[in-house]
Amino acid sequence: MNGWIGRCLRVNLTDGKHQVEKLDTDLLEKYLGGRGLGVKIFADEVDPNIDPLSPENKLIFCSGPLVGTGAITGASCNVITKSSLTQTLACAKMRGHFGAELKYAGFDIVIIEGQSEAPVILSIKDDKVKLIPGLEYWGRSTAETEELFKKNLDDPWIARETYLVSIGPAGEKLLPLANLVNDRFLSVGGAGIGAVMGAKNLKAVAVKGQHSLQVADGSRFVRVINTLINKLNSAPLTSQSMSQWGTAFLVGLCYQKGILPRNNFRSTSQPLKNIGTEALNSAFALRGRGCFACPIACIKKADVKYSVFEGKGMVPTYLAIGSLGFNCGISDLSAIGVMSMLCGEMGLDPVATGGNFATVMELVEKKAVTPEELKIDISFGNADSMIEAIRLISTKKGYARRLGQGGMAISESFNMPEIFMGVKGLSLAPFDPRAIQGMGLHFATCNYGPHHLYGYTFIDELLNVHENLDPLETQGKASLVKRYQDTSAVVDSLGLCNWPLMGLKFNNYVPMVNSCLGTNYKADDLLSIGERIWNIERIYNMKAGFNMGHDTLPERFFKEPIPDGPAEGQISHVKEMLPEYYQLRGWSEQGEPGLEE
Amino acid sequence: MPRIKIDHTKCTGCRHCEAACSLNHVANTVNPRRARIRVMRDGNRYYPVIAGPFVDAACTSKQYIVIGDQTYDMCAFCRASCPQKPYFIEAETGIPLKCDFCGIPPSPSCVRWCNTGALELVED
Repeated sequence: MNGWIGRCLRVNLTDGKHQVEKLDTDLLEKYLGGRGLGVKIFADEVDPNIDPLSPENKLIFCSGPLVGTGAITGASCNVITKSSLTQTLACAKMRGHFGAELKYAGFDIVIIEGQSEAPVILSIKDDKVKLIPGLEYWGRSTAETEELFKKNLDDPWIARETYLVSIGPAGEKLLPLANLVNDRFLSVGGAGIGAVMGAKNLKAVAVKGQHSLQVADGSRFVRVINTLINKLNSAPLTSQSMSQWGTAFLVGLCYQKGILPRNNFRSTSQPLKNIGTEALNSAFALRGRGCFACPIACIKKADVKYSVFEGKGMVPTYLAIGSLGFNCGISDLSAIGVMSMLCGEMGLDPVATGGNFATVMELVEKKAVTPEELKIDISFGNADSMIEAIRLISTKKGYARRLGQGGMAISESFNMPEIFMGVKGLSLAPFDPRAIQGMGLHFATCNYGPHHLYGYTFIDELLNVHENLDPLETQGKASLVKRYQDTSAVVDSLGLCNWPLMGLKFNNYVPMVNSCLGTNYKADDLLSIGERIWNIERIYNMKAGFNMGHDTLPERFFKEPIPDGPAEGQISHVKEMLPEYYQLRGWSEQGEPGLEE
Repeated sequence: MPRIKIDHTKCTGCRHCEAACSLNHVANTVNPRRARIRVMRDGNRYYPVIAGPFVDAACTSKQYIVIGDQTYDMCAFCRASCPQKPYFIEAETGIPLKCDFCGIPPSPSCVRWCNTGALELVED
């Protein structure tokens, strides 16, 4: 098989047995792999009404067909499960080298079932699959786990080529904010997944492989990639901004357009001078780090300028700066860096954690709870106590452990659910939906909660790469959102990254896909696969109890106009755009897809 | 004569060069373990190493280099394909691998795919 391996590994943690299954070619061509295949298998096998932390829930790691073949940015492995934070299907994208290594080990997909009695680590070394007792790793941070695991391997050559994804103390304590961390510090970015892995008593998954991957037409494939690299190099965003600063370059742009939220989405103007790329340069010595086969290398490591980051720190991304920083009133980049690093070590999701604390801070400000009651002085702009609180919640120590239940649960426990800025239980990614309407519609309708990576409309709305759209306009946004949501489903399924779309058109991917897989897809075929995947996810969520009523934003965005900044006076128009969106998707007026798909 | 110049400070560890090399040498096949260039990681840094001559015995004394406060294992940066090290050896046949400076005129595939400038073709 070209691109695909066609093998699936199924591990049952309850009895410790595993088996290898063959994957059907029709299934692969219909759902591609990665997110599509994982979601299809998950929806077929797992009852939508289970408790996410029960042994019946499954955890699926699925690499796309282009991963590891050298296709540009072909590195991502998707993690699919039912999230304990949102109770929806969750699909998180793992970057780095884990996905490619999983393919070299000879598997497209790993399905983890059941629940182990004692902590274990799943080790996959080609066909040698085994469960290693993980008691000595339990309680350790993600970086320590990886270091210790590699040390215990004895052979330094094997250790060099082993890649690990693990949960931190937050996942072990079943915190809904927990996620996975791979390659030492890369956050997998799906809140609630860490708790599922923790409930299964699975501390980590390690892979190493040496199998070969086949490509259908090698010489054409090489030519196509040469052209794509040239195209990326001639696009200013991918060749300069992303390569130099990573996603953090968006901070300045979003600030100028009034999209960057502050103090739990109550303001967009920052009384600060030190934002943007120059401040980033002076706060950190940047060093690019690439995921497998990535010509962009947007991940930035902090070089040894600050001793606290030595060997482990990642320069905060846009998400971390926005969520952990500005939305909590904090503008000190080195404090944000420390928080983002702590989140990585403890295995917390930066967006959900930031939203969680922003909610607490507003509760304190509205006097629903006093700092004395919380026994920690959490308030907007207080970086030191937030760093302390991140440590406390992830180990569930001290009084602050109440604060780790996610923004929605906390705001409800104080009878103020209206101050939680999130949809379906997940906090909003740091884009103010009042100032960027298309993104607002995406946030309301996204199957995984309001995360910008499942529909990156800002490429056209904010960066104006392919189309020159006004972020405040609502005209045509429904079709834009649908197009980007479908695109993201395909790109995730192929195992590619979404950032090259800042320089490439989606059509540019098609020859790469066909020369690699030996297929004859056209761009429209791929997009209709994307639509199919989106519908499966939607149907699964509807069976789990979600409906049209969840396709909305917090009331604040409809009632309170932005009080200041460039987008002053704007409110969100999601409700007006929603009927058009449903119609474009071919859903009923209640937002229900035909159930037969 | 053209040479490949390695600037490790620019390397991002993406291993695209490994994929390029194996695609170019084994038809339609990608496997970094069959590549004649490998990226080594040490702490925060990455070092591309290009396969050199084959030696049939391992060194008797293992070397360590100390730069600043970090100690580096010389074996990792050694270009030789040797019995001690499972690199630069074709896994299925056991044949040692060596960089052949591929491409006509010399335009090695690894250099073409290296987008950060860590690998560069220089004349001297």
